[in-house]
Amino acid sequence: MLMHIGDSPEEAAFRDHARTWLAQHAPLYSDDASQWHDDLGGHVNACKKWQHVLYDNGWAGISWPKQFGGRGGTSLQASIFAEEQSKFDVATGSFAVSLGMVGPTLMAHGTPEQHAEFLQPMLRGDHVWCQLFSEPNAGSDLANIGTRAVLDGDTWIVNGQKVWTSFGQFSDYGILLTRTEPESPKHKGITYFILDMKSAGIEVRPLVQITGVAHFNEVFLSDVRIPAANVLGQVNNGWAVANTTLTSERAFIGGGGSSWTVEALIETAQKLGRTSDPRVRQKLAAAYARAQTLTYLGYRLRTASSLGLMPGPEMFVMKLAYARHWEKTMDTAMEILGADATLWGEHSIDSGQWQHHLLSQFAIRLGGGTNEIQQNIIGERGLGLPREPSVDRDLPWRELVKG
Amino acid sequence: MNFDLTDEQNVLADLAQQIFDGLSTIERIADVQAGDGFDRQLWNELAKAGLLGLCVPEEYGGLAMNAVELSLVLEKQGKTIAQVPLWSSSVAAMTLAEYADTALQALVLPNVCDGTTILSVAIANIGANDAMNPSVVATDTDGGVRLVGSKPAVAYAQYAHFVLVSAKRADGSIVLALVDTDARGVTLNAVNGSDLQPQANMDFDVVVPTSHIVAGAASDGRDALRWMHERSLVALCAIQLGVAQGSIALTAEHVRTRHQFGKPLSAQQAVAVRAADAYITTEAMRVTTLNAAWRLAEGFDARQDVLVAMYWATEGGHSVVLAGQHLHGGVGADISYPVHRFFLWGIQISTQLGGASQHLARLGKLIAAR
Repeated sequence: MLMHIGDSPEEAAFRDHARTWLAQHAPLYSDDASQWHDDLGGHVNACKKWQHVLYDNGWAGISWPKQFGGRGGTSLQASIFAEEQSKFDVATGSFAVSLGMVGPTLMAHGTPEQHAEFLQPMLRGDHVWCQLFSEPNAGSDLANIGTRAVLDGDTWIVNGQKVWTSFGQFSDYGILLTRTEPESPKHKGITYFILDMKSAGIEVRPLVQITGVAHFNEVFLSDVRIPAANVLGQVNNGWAVANTTLTSERAFIGGGGSSWTVEALIETAQKLGRTSDPRVRQKLAAAYARAQTLTYLGYRLRTASSLGLMPGPEMFVMKLAYARHWEKTMDTAMEILGADATLWGEHSIDSGQWQHHLLSQFAIRLGGGTNEIQQNIIGERGLGLPREPSVDRDLPWRELVKG
Repeated sequence: MNFDLTDEQNVLADLAQQIFDGLSTIERIADVQAGDGFDRQLWNELAKAGLLGLCVPEEYGGLAMNAVELSLVLEKQGKTIAQVPLWSSSVAAMTLAEYADTALQALVLPNVCDGTTILSVAIANIGANDAMNPSVVATDTDGGVRLVGSKPAVAYAQYAHFVLVSAKRADGSIVLALVDTDARGVTLNAVNGSDLQPQANMDFDVVVPTSHIVAGAASDGRDALRWMHERSLVALCAIQLGVAQGSIALTAEHVRTRHQFGKPLSAQQAVAVRAADAYITTEAMRVTTLNAAWRLAEGFDARQDVLVAMYWATEGGHSVVLAGQHLHGGVGADISYPVHRFFLWGIQISTQLGGASQHLARLGKLIAAR
């Protein structure tokens, strides 16, 4: 197939179809303000309502197979829909974990019973899911997690603490990584569970962030009982399952549909009469040039995934480039807002979303592997530099230095 | 959507890489520079492989390809800093194929494919260097157009048989003329380029016959000039992409193998991180250059895309070759070691493209001015 940087005729037809449907339905479900302010519960409800509408109209799980309740379309169609959807103020954030990460993992590793129980309600937006991976002592080195699960008959008993759990306080289910075989090397003794968040022994403590929103939580697990049927994949093989989740996360980040765009910032600058200043225009141009690289890196990722090929270096370049773009563009946004940038929330221009984006840049810089971890990975895989010495790879986890 | 190369394009890129890697070795480049600066042996091999007629129509013996394929080949040239007038000859040939009448095409293009005729393009202008405001004056005369003025830094002009020269009439309309470098009234002064490649300043007081006016003989040739200029810029972006890759490959090899205090240099995270950043920038250059080339090949409006590619090639390309030079330490300053050549090419191309702030100023007007 010839190079074609843009929609094929079939893709253009799909985009038209999606756009027409969205124009009729999305404005009725606008969630303009709650996502930038501290009404996270309102945002979750808005997400649920909109996901129901998507499901009822056949737009949920566009690239999921029909056997799992999806539309049976292509990953390119899913990206096109996400792009078009992002032009409306509909709420989708609280399903990023379930639809972007849990769904693909369940489809790949779940039993038929697990598929039947979880996938359809997930697509319908009945359940919010959270990711219980990071711990206070295991973030950048995820394989070092220490939350223990011990088998007692046909039930696992879990003790430990998780942190940075997005939407944990609103979640119905979680995906949980635990240590089940401390005598094995750190990658070998991990088991992956589906956790009912209403189980006894779970305490969720919201962390109010610099944005004023308690998006993240600490989750304390004390003698939490999980039925053995809720192991996802094989006992002690959780690392392989977790890798499916992490790969899906990266692909999801690459799938388009971010919460802000350079075009929107240009509109704001024009609205404020700032684009007559050539310095402002040059900064907007630099933001535009950065955004173009992300668009095309994303196109290359989509091309690889639609051809069933392994993505190239764009996969690990993309998140870091996006984080830097975010940082620089929000600095430009503050300059454009001028004195208004010192205001907060509804008193500010555009409902205060630029201030919100400025402060939420830390999520993209740190989440899913920090900028510095990404640089290390690029050095190793892109340039063939020697790996960081890994002294603990084959030692039993029990003997490792923690924290 | 398919942002990937076809099998045919991959084969072409591999072929180009084999030729450049095989012939344009570091020793060979030093020999060429000690001579007249033009690697004719490599030029002949490129002719044999058909790469000199890459963008020439099939009826004149060419491969009838377009800006994407040219970019792929030029990228490989940049990787080996091979001293041949490939971009300038190819863009001139494309422009003739697009705008010249068939008589002029038939006269020139077959010999371009076999390497016996070398073309160039005079894209720079004296003064503010606005491509659309040429520093040569055109006046209509009997039998042709008289050109008076100068063009600086024309790539390999002293070896070119014809140079495409843009000029402006008093009424502001543009003429694009194919000037015979042997014609009376054409003076060449060879000058030293910072990239150590041959170039010449050209002075004109010459009547170009109507048969050699490529565009604007009886009207305004502005569109043809813009067409040629955009392809020249993207060609330079493609070479810059190769230069960045060549620099970074040498640098990765150096920091991997050079040991200090019992460890490879790359074990210092500050070193590895700077190399990783150069790699990211190179990927940004790759996707924006390919996108701009593709849009040109498809005949779409590519003004913004070309500016974005140029921004990355100048700002990004500069930062990559600087990192390469820096991470080599003192070795980088030793001209018996090759990395400095990538730095020289990188700086030269950044300057030829016009500098990043100029691109941002123009792009800013296009996307945000009201």
